[in-house]
Amino acid sequence: MKKYLKLSLVALLVLSLALALAGCGGKQEAAKTEGTNPSPPAEKKILKVSTEAAYAPFEFKDKDNNIVGFDAEFIRAVAKEMGYEAELTHVAWDGLIPSLESGAADIVISAMTITEERKKSTLFSEPYLNIVQSVGIKEGSPIKSLDDLKGKTIGVQNNTTGHYWAAKFYNVKPEDNFDKIKKFDTTPDALEALKTGAVDAVVADKPVVLAYIKENPNSKLTKVDSDKFEKEYYGMAMKLGNEELAKKVNDAIKKVKENGTYDSLVKKYFPE
Amino acid sequence: MIYIKDLYKSFGTLEVLKGVSCHVKEKEVVVVIGPSGSGKSTLLRCINKLEDATSGEITVDNIPLNGSATNLNKVREEVGMVFQRFNLFPHKTALGNITMAPMKVRKTAKAEVYEAALKLLNKVGLSDKADVYPDQLSGGQQQRVAIARALAMQPKIMLFDEPTSALDPEMVGEVLAVMKNLAREGMTMVVVSHEMGFAREVGDRVIFMDEGMIIEEGTPEQVFGSPQHQRTKAFLSKIL
Amino acid sequence: MRWEIIIDRIPILLQGALMTVELTVLAVGIGTVIGLFTSLFRISKFGLSRFLAATYIDFFRGTPLLAQIYLIYFGLPQLVGYVPNPWISGVAALSINSGAYIAEIFRAGIQSIDKGQMEASRSLGMSYGQAMRYVILPQAFKRIVPPLGNEFIAMLKDSSLVSVITLQELMLTGRTIVGSTYRPFEVYITVAVLYLVMTLSISRLIAFLERRLRTGDLH
Repeated sequence: MKKYLKLSLVALLVLSLALALAGCGGKQEAAKTEGTNPSPPAEKKILKVSTEAAYAPFEFKDKDNNIVGFDAEFIRAVAKEMGYEAELTHVAWDGLIPSLESGAADIVISAMTITEERKKSTLFSEPYLNIVQSVGIKEGSPIKSLDDLKGKTIGVQNNTTGHYWAAKFYNVKPEDNFDKIKKFDTTPDALEALKTGAVDAVVADKPVVLAYIKENPNSKLTKVDSDKFEKEYYGMAMKLGNEELAKKVNDAIKKVKENGTYDSLVKKYFPE
Repeated sequence: MIYIKDLYKSFGTLEVLKGVSCHVKEKEVVVVIGPSGSGKSTLLRCINKLEDATSGEITVDNIPLNGSATNLNKVREEVGMVFQRFNLFPHKTALGNITMAPMKVRKTAKAEVYEAALKLLNKVGLSDKADVYPDQLSGGQQQRVAIARALAMQPKIMLFDEPTSALDPEMVGEVLAVMKNLAREGMTMVVVSHEMGFAREVGDRVIFMDEGMIIEEGTPEQVFGSPQHQRTKAFLSKIL
Repeated sequence: MRWEIIIDRIPILLQGALMTVELTVLAVGIGTVIGLFTSLFRISKFGLSRFLAATYIDFFRGTPLLAQIYLIYFGLPQLVGYVPNPWISGVAALSINSGAYIAEIFRAGIQSIDKGQMEASRSLGMSYGQAMRYVILPQAFKRIVPPLGNEFIAMLKDSSLVSVITLQELMLTGRTIVGSTYRPFEVYITVAVLYLVMTLSISRLIAFLERRLRTGDLH
């Protein structure tokens, strides 16, 4: 018994060492290639992109764990135009802007609406898409208009424009622990809760609500639109003061819009 | 008082008791001796069902132990047991140790139980230790509390499983003195012990066991004075 | 550094910390009851009850707490068809999870008590239940206090996972504040300090209890 214990401990130790070394080895190799070829003309520069890949159709993971979607393809096209290769990493929504602060990412593209509040702490590109909010409800729900939401429990994704809209609607601060606003980590979580009846409605970006309803035909969900929702503009976020990068990005956005890539992406992801 | 017939007991493949038959009369003091591993402790533990016999019959105070209707706890209330390692409850005082079972099992009134318990403490010579916890008592004192604890249930039979072998030599006497008193009062006792002096002085009968069987039994004079069996002689020559 | 944003939000942060404490106390409290009975089932002589207890313990110790929270809040309601309440779901998930860990703590505590204690109790005519209640468990409890304290501290931190089902405890409060202020350092250091204050208070309390138990005041 004791012998087996010792053996398995040794095995565990060897395994963890091997894994650690494998990790180091990979990095060393990468460093070596950089070292031997100081500035290879063929090698692409990397643009580190953070995105919350749980937001179809803008950014989500396909079955092979690749991040795909409108934003993903768009940033790859923009990066290519800049002479970079976009390297997308999934980061939780609440961690996106901090990832810019820490230098983990150069840029964030994540269906992020440009707001005055956010502008105080982050530098936005030119807007690249406009959308409105929509209210996801269950079929047969008595909610027909925004006014009907009074007194109802609203599910939102924490710190999104939908969340801020709901806070304003109920006249509370976003961080208040208010009974009628349920803050989820992701919009799909909020829509799942709508299915079970834990919330009466979900306020989120319209294309996301639409995509969810389309992908889950059995969930008996529908939506309420309203012209009272203001038009919102998505922008890419960069670290405050990084005007140099912003300029390159804006030029590239312009080119991608002009060369037809943008229109084909819009057609592909938003056929309506 | 106790009748045992053809008692077998195995632990897995190890056969510890191989057909033991004996009986203990009322007010009799029986001392069981034998080398370690001879099954004498197991025999004792079968009498109050700390071990289940593999086969055979045990009758205690006219209640068959193997009978399904037997209320095991009821029999145990009639049979007190004293262990080699005392097994006092460390979270209770000496008094608490003695009063627990009468109050919880017999549901006797508290005042009555405490009065009796104090008398018992007095009897084992520890009146001043009523509120002391076991870890502050010497081994000999602990064993005397353990005897008082068993007596508090007013048993008809007392079983002693090597009650002095975990004690420092100077404490053996005080425990044996309590046991001698008990024998003198007419308690039915079965004692597994190597204390030959005690066996000679208070034992009515001595049983010698080896390898799971009773090899020889008789009065202390017979067994110690003129052992018949070769194995008895060999054992006695080693310990005397 | 902009500490004024923290000062404005101290009340809401404390409100979050209070919910963290409530969740933890409830989870460990209910978990202790579950754990006690599960551990008794786990060491019982009946095969079926041993099997059921072992299955429960293996499942809830062997799967991530986060998965259990999702299962209870999102999964079960769709299967069984009830409307989940975040508070009840959260407390249930944390308690059931804690119960599995505490069951093993109790089992280890009970089995660490010398076999002679049970034998002495039984030889005095006590039933198995009486022996457990009056002799074994009171002694086991002393040995259980330190690992139970560890479980308490672990649960205090793990309770932040219920933020995924919208319970606004300390961690979610912090994240939401970062969302509107974009000051992660100030906010998270405050959150960390609040957790630290809570965990240190618990370990002090446990150390105090342990000392009292050792010196015998609580025999």
